[in-house]
Amino acid sequence: MEVIPQLVVSTILLGGLYALIAVGLTLIFGVMRVVNFAHGEFLMLAMYAAFWAFTLLHMDPYLTLFVSLPLFFAVGWVSYRVVMRPVIHASHNAQVFTTVGLSILLQNAALVLFTADAQFLRTDYYTVVLRLGGAVFNLAQTVAFVIAVLATVSLFAFLRWSYTGKIMRATAQDPQVASLMGIDTGRIYALTWAVGITCVGAAGVLLAPIYPVYPTAGLQFVLIAYIAVVLGGLGNMAGALIAAVIIAAVEVIGSYTIGTAWKEVLYLMLFIFVLVVRPAGLFGQRGAEALGT
Amino acid sequence: MKRYLPAIAYFVVAGLAPLVVKDAFFLDALVLILIWGAAAAAWNIAGGYAGQVSLGHSAFFGLGAYAAALAVTRWGLSPWTGILIGAGIAAFTGMVIGFLSNRLKGPYFVIATIALSQVLLIAASRLKGLTSGSEGIPVPFRPGFWTLGIADKSVWVWIVLVLAILVYLVQVYLERSRRGFQLAAVREDEDAARSLGVPALHLKVAAIAVSAAFTAVCGALWAQYIGFVDPAYVFSVDISIKFALASMIGGVGTALGPFLGAALVTTLETTLRAQFGGVGAQFIGTYLILYGIALIVIVRYAPRGLVGWIGERWGRREAKPA
Repeated sequence: MEVIPQLVVSTILLGGLYALIAVGLTLIFGVMRVVNFAHGEFLMLAMYAAFWAFTLLHMDPYLTLFVSLPLFFAVGWVSYRVVMRPVIHASHNAQVFTTVGLSILLQNAALVLFTADAQFLRTDYYTVVLRLGGAVFNLAQTVAFVIAVLATVSLFAFLRWSYTGKIMRATAQDPQVASLMGIDTGRIYALTWAVGITCVGAAGVLLAPIYPVYPTAGLQFVLIAYIAVVLGGLGNMAGALIAAVIIAAVEVIGSYTIGTAWKEVLYLMLFIFVLVVRPAGLFGQRGAEALGT
Repeated sequence: MKRYLPAIAYFVVAGLAPLVVKDAFFLDALVLILIWGAAAAAWNIAGGYAGQVSLGHSAFFGLGAYAAALAVTRWGLSPWTGILIGAGIAAFTGMVIGFLSNRLKGPYFVIATIALSQVLLIAASRLKGLTSGSEGIPVPFRPGFWTLGIADKSVWVWIVLVLAILVYLVQVYLERSRRGFQLAAVREDEDAARSLGVPALHLKVAAIAVSAAFTAVCGALWAQYIGFVDPAYVFSVDISIKFALASMIGGVGTALGPFLGAALVTTLETTLRAQFGGVGAQFIGTYLILYGIALIVIVRYAPRGLVGWIGERWGRREAKPA
């Protein structure tokens, strides 16, 4: 069975990327109790940002990160102030429709500006692969994986040890008590949203050298992120990471054994099955899915 | 009676228009306005009256479209039989989703419905033996009412008008009947409603199943009218969003709202398509940018949409919550 090391490598590389997309989504949900249906569109915008920086300014996609991370933090902050703040205390349905509206807006702005054509960011090292033992590593995927892991680890460290991170976790646990303790929860929501968008912005830049970009490119990835987030238990960051790797494994092994045509059905079925059997997710608390509705 | 005057006017104008105007482009737009209106109203039964917001209603639309198309092309049946089969399958699927809704609230339910429509999209693209896959199925034109091969667009207007009025009447029933009031109670506070003996689960399942069945009928008629079904369109998230968008803009949880919303959305879309077809095709997206902004603004300032907003201005009775 020479393919097993390769299957493991592919799973881990893919899982790392999925995790970075999912981690921003689950952070936003955990702190704000909002499912961001525009998450995929921010991913798509980040892919376009890397594509245009490469095409027009000949900037290497990985150098783009230094510009696009602060940029997406700012985009996140502004989109929170303008769009999300008015509905932050509104009903779930109002929040769903607000983020859906944002998603329609961004997707079609991209359509009008960039047309529906799929664009490819082809670096000189596009086809470079590394060999280690029996496994082959695609260079772009490996770099993306390393940066994704670094980003995720630093986000965890930030939440665990920094003062702001602790305030965020306090707000997630109980916003009312947090504001009684003098925490400006409005600011924390804005910061959380901005950090979540920054994560998905980083993911978009890392995906750009691997996948083509087009206005609806976000959907396929964000669907995986939703599934990872629900499987891991909404708001549970570690759970989302493990779930991202599980989905990657299902996708890689499914593609190998029964072909790529049905791989999406496999994880969607897994997702619906888990929703029916254990809607709180694999690692979530029981009953969490009904909280605050 | 007074509160139903705007709706009666809407349907009477739509029904009489083909007698006055013979322009094919106008009649085509009218058929689409009524189909999308009926579909948005069907969505509204689940998303508005029952409070079960779905972004996967294209699943039911696609099931109806495929049932009708396959009935004609593969099984040699009348499209009318296909419509009934599609409605039946969709109602059953809707019941399953309805039972899920008992365990999945708010955003969880939304994600589960998106996942359902994506599973059907992939299944329809891959089951080449049954559905011809991504190529889609052309629906052959066989003249006659029984085979739905109708060249005269005015007849199409009247057929979809009957469907639109049916869905409208279901919504009126939900505004006036005991069951409708119970459903509203479940939507507003399920625990309180249950404690008063309201069969919450039954009502939600029934609402979603009825909503699914009507959406499937819309999909089936749409497929017969357009003459072509392909999975990437009929099962897309875009269509699901279109139903929700038309309802939200017109007025979610109001009987006339979805029809008004669909009229606005479809008119702007067809106008832009006529303007920018071909070379500038990407500019068709401008109407969706406007609607994205409209959705954000409406949720914030006019949560009951145009109908609610106009009602507040005029102090009409229909503005009051159902």
